[in-house]
Amino acid sequence: MTNDKLRGRTDWIKVRLLGGIGDWQFQVYPATEFASVARRLLHYMLRCQSSAKAVKPPRQAQWRRSQLLPLVLMACACWSGLISSRAFADELDDLPIDAWKQLREVERYQLQIAEKYWREQNWITAAAEYEKFMELYEKSTGAPFAQLKWSLAQVKLKKQNTAIKEGFQTVIDYWPESSHAIAAAYYIGRTQKEIGRTKEAKAALKSLVAKHPQHLVAVYALNELIDLATIEKDVPARVEHWKKLTFELKRTRDSSATCVQASQQLALHQFREGAFDEGVKALATTYNAAQLPSYVHSYVRVPLSELVAQTETKAKGETLTNQAIAWLRQATPADQSMPEAKQIARQILFGVADLTALAQRDDQVPAAYETIVAAFPKDDEALGRLAAWYKTKTNYDKARETYLRYADKNEGLGLVGYSYREQQNWPLAEQSYQQLLGQDAEHKVRWKPELAATHRGAHKWPEAITVYEELVRDDLSNAGRWRWEVACTHRDAGQLKEAIGHFRQCENFPENYKQMAWCHRQLKQPNEAITLYSQVSSDKASAPWALLQVAYTREEAGQAETAIQAFQQVCKKFPKDPHASTAHAHLQQKYKISVTLGGANEE
Amino acid sequence: MTFFSRLPRKLIRQTQGYAALWLIALVLWRVQNWLPLWLLGIAFLPSLPLGIAWLRQLRSHGDRNPMARSLVLTGLYPFWWHLAVFLAEFAGLHEVRAGLVSTGLLGLFLIGLAWMVWWLERASRRIERSQLDEVLRGGTLLVSPASAVEAHEQAARRRYWNPLDPRAWYYGRGSRKLKQSMLATCTYGMAFWLSVMTVSQIRGCRPNDYELPAGGGQQKTVAQSVKIQKVIRRKYVVNPYSSIKFSVPPIDDVKLQLQEATAHQYVVGYGEGTGAGFAGGTQRGKVRLIRLEYDGGDWNLNFGIGGDNNMLLEYGLLTQQKVGDKTEAIRIAQLAGFPSDKSPPLVFITGQGSLSVSNNEVKVLREYLIDKHGLLFASSGSQHFHNQFLALMNRVLPDVRAVPVPMDDSIHRIPFAIPSFPYVVPHGGREPLGWSADGRWLVYYHPGDISDAWADGHSGVSSNIYNGCFQLGANVINYGHVEYAKWLQARGKSK
Repeated sequence: MTNDKLRGRTDWIKVRLLGGIGDWQFQVYPATEFASVARRLLHYMLRCQSSAKAVKPPRQAQWRRSQLLPLVLMACACWSGLISSRAFADELDDLPIDAWKQLREVERYQLQIAEKYWREQNWITAAAEYEKFMELYEKSTGAPFAQLKWSLAQVKLKKQNTAIKEGFQTVIDYWPESSHAIAAAYYIGRTQKEIGRTKEAKAALKSLVAKHPQHLVAVYALNELIDLATIEKDVPARVEHWKKLTFELKRTRDSSATCVQASQQLALHQFREGAFDEGVKALATTYNAAQLPSYVHSYVRVPLSELVAQTETKAKGETLTNQAIAWLRQATPADQSMPEAKQIARQILFGVADLTALAQRDDQVPAAYETIVAAFPKDDEALGRLAAWYKTKTNYDKARETYLRYADKNEGLGLVGYSYREQQNWPLAEQSYQQLLGQDAEHKVRWKPELAATHRGAHKWPEAITVYEELVRDDLSNAGRWRWEVACTHRDAGQLKEAIGHFRQCENFPENYKQMAWCHRQLKQPNEAITLYSQVSSDKASAPWALLQVAYTREEAGQAETAIQAFQQVCKKFPKDPHASTAHAHLQQKYKISVTLGGANEE
Repeated sequence: MTFFSRLPRKLIRQTQGYAALWLIALVLWRVQNWLPLWLLGIAFLPSLPLGIAWLRQLRSHGDRNPMARSLVLTGLYPFWWHLAVFLAEFAGLHEVRAGLVSTGLLGLFLIGLAWMVWWLERASRRIERSQLDEVLRGGTLLVSPASAVEAHEQAARRRYWNPLDPRAWYYGRGSRKLKQSMLATCTYGMAFWLSVMTVSQIRGCRPNDYELPAGGGQQKTVAQSVKIQKVIRRKYVVNPYSSIKFSVPPIDDVKLQLQEATAHQYVVGYGEGTGAGFAGGTQRGKVRLIRLEYDGGDWNLNFGIGGDNNMLLEYGLLTQQKVGDKTEAIRIAQLAGFPSDKSPPLVFITGQGSLSVSNNEVKVLREYLIDKHGLLFASSGSQHFHNQFLALMNRVLPDVRAVPVPMDDSIHRIPFAIPSFPYVVPHGGREPLGWSADGRWLVYYHPGDISDAWADGHSGVSSNIYNGCFQLGANVINYGHVEYAKWLQARGKSK
């Protein structure tokens, strides 16, 4: 399904969500747009989580996802922080609809041509078209915008100095009253930061914040200043900027993401410093009372585990744990008659148990989870988390005991089998899965792959192959996948000829051809392998890799001369590809040949 | 009568005198920068005839005495090894020199180890013999077995501290001899390593001062002028009925011969002086390309003649500035030995293997880049080196983040405009990285093996790429020198 919510104003960005949660496929990857989309996606995820309308994942993976969610949130927050400087300026380089209206038809036409090339990332032509606009319609209201976009095209062309001196500065000098002049001032600071002129960048961005404290550029400038302070390890400056973004600036549609991120970073920092109440205060600017407990728990996790892990900060970690648990307990709704309130209470109990585990209070952890089990008897998630905790303590027997208490007996038994597999106790794992196949015949397609994986782990190749073959017949919608598994099992078993036969039946070109070629190499059949690699090279993305493999194959076959030629071909045909680097280094180190025939110019 | 007592006194006196002279010459070679190499050669070369004289004495007097032979050969080893190293350096064979240094050091270690084993064995035997003598003198074994047992127990109870004595208490009860040998080998290895480290530190005291070539120049891009010349082809009058077949050229076809020439309308350099050079330079000053030596990998990749020497020569041709005769190499620690006003404006580093740099060297490098206004020009020879170099930079400049160097930066425009970034293979990406502070590049990193393009054969890349690499190299070298000259000038004014 195409998610319309994720579409920005740039309608050529398409993001598709395929399958269930966790199976996202992005179709467009330009850095700025991708970052922008990722940011929106993050917020969408947060909304989904809070409104509990998200697609419910399979139960086996549910507890893991809930464990992982805070980590994913943190990672996304950090990641979006890292790339934010590129992502945030999108709205500043757009021409408002009113301004488009004021343009004459010819002007609009010329500007649209330039915009088309901009969207196609054809920066040279786009810059030429913007320049043409400025030459033809110097007095147009669109001229400052064209000049700004020309400057941004220069940045894309890695001519940042030209962009600053002849582009952004011109916007400020010729159209000082224009809204684009403020944007240009911001871009000057940002570009200076990008080319390492931190002092100038800092001065430019600070003056921008002082001059336009309520403008959107102030938000972006503060974000850049935070990045600069991070580079310089200037913690007080970072905190000051975070506070400004969190508490002082007005949140609008465009500035909200930056402010939210600042509040999260500030909260993390305050938790690390042991200032729990300050951290909660920062998060409270972003989340409402119902959401807050869940987010406080998510953001306190990492600082808490870091503090507790170090002997010097353990005491601080203990205090933070006590404060966090006490705060979560007091946030429990007194009236739990409504399902929403009950849900919040449940989340808080989970949070308390999780923090207890993170604080390494091992004696209190089982009791904390048992409290949840007592309050919500048919909720297997608490048991799953308790079992997972037992496993982190390598107490597998206790974990299995806990799994066997599951309301969903089949699910519990499946997890018992998996725990045996983790311990490489193959007979008992096999026994568990066999039992499952007997008692849950309805879902045998789900348990058979687990059984086959157990056989593979135990190196019982024929048994594993038999199970996969059954799956090929039983699960027609995934027949290709099971055929691949059959082939891989043959390969792992050293039955390379059979593996080749099965890989040939797979349809995931070029991966199957790569595997077939590898098998031929192991069978000392270089010519067959080379033929297959040649076919793989018809796939553009795999071509450099395939040619490099041809070279290695020839080398293994003792054909040193042709191998050298093949290595040189990699350098010559694909001088910009990283595989050329491997071939070049190999030729120099193994054959002491310096003439590798590479070489390229980066435009 | 021993071998040494039979030797002529004159030879011994000559040897003692020469040893003193040799030591002084050695120290001067390592720490001075004004004594010419040929003079040092005069001091080192006599070790050859003197050594031969000793060998002849050995042959005539002491050929049956292995001890004398070993002693003479051991004595000769450092002299001749050092002579070989000196001659390799004198001849400009830097790779041979580096090989001789490392293998010679290994030889010295092994000779020392052999002597240590001999001495240990001799000393422990002497101790054992004295113990046996003591036992025999007492005659306990003959008198009564009980007293012998008692004496043995007494000896076992006694604590021996002498490490040469295998009965020393810290060797334990079993495999005492093995433990003694292990301890001796470890102690010797550590002492040897410490000595080598101390000597290598002495070397870092005083490298040759760096002086800029005198002159001046402008900060401008070299103008490229393209002359289009019309060449009218000779026209043939051909009999169309001739039996000889001609492909008749079109009558109006002309061949455009494009001749690209560089208009040298100004001088490459910085300052007001005459001729290509730099303000604050001296008449004897030259542009030198100095390579950094480091442990762990192949610092000398494409080093010297046929390698980066090509770049140095090309720089001289492209800029008309005075350049050194050949490229040089120094250890990172030696950068500390330069005075700040005569420090190299630029040092070059490359390699394919690991990059092992001590904390002290990191500190020296940081001081060089920041306090001495230096520029580190790095080129990656492999993906592994790329990762190693970035990790090193995180240690050297932890507060500076690497950024892509803009293509319109002065380092890419002066003196030669580099429209597109040339590289051999993308070991570490396809754009140059830079570390900057106060508006100046401290480090310029070429991720695509620029030194391979400079080397003989140019790695087989096309001429426009290797010429681009030479021009880029010239730009970086010029940038380093210009920035350094500016800094020296500013310092002079402030004083």
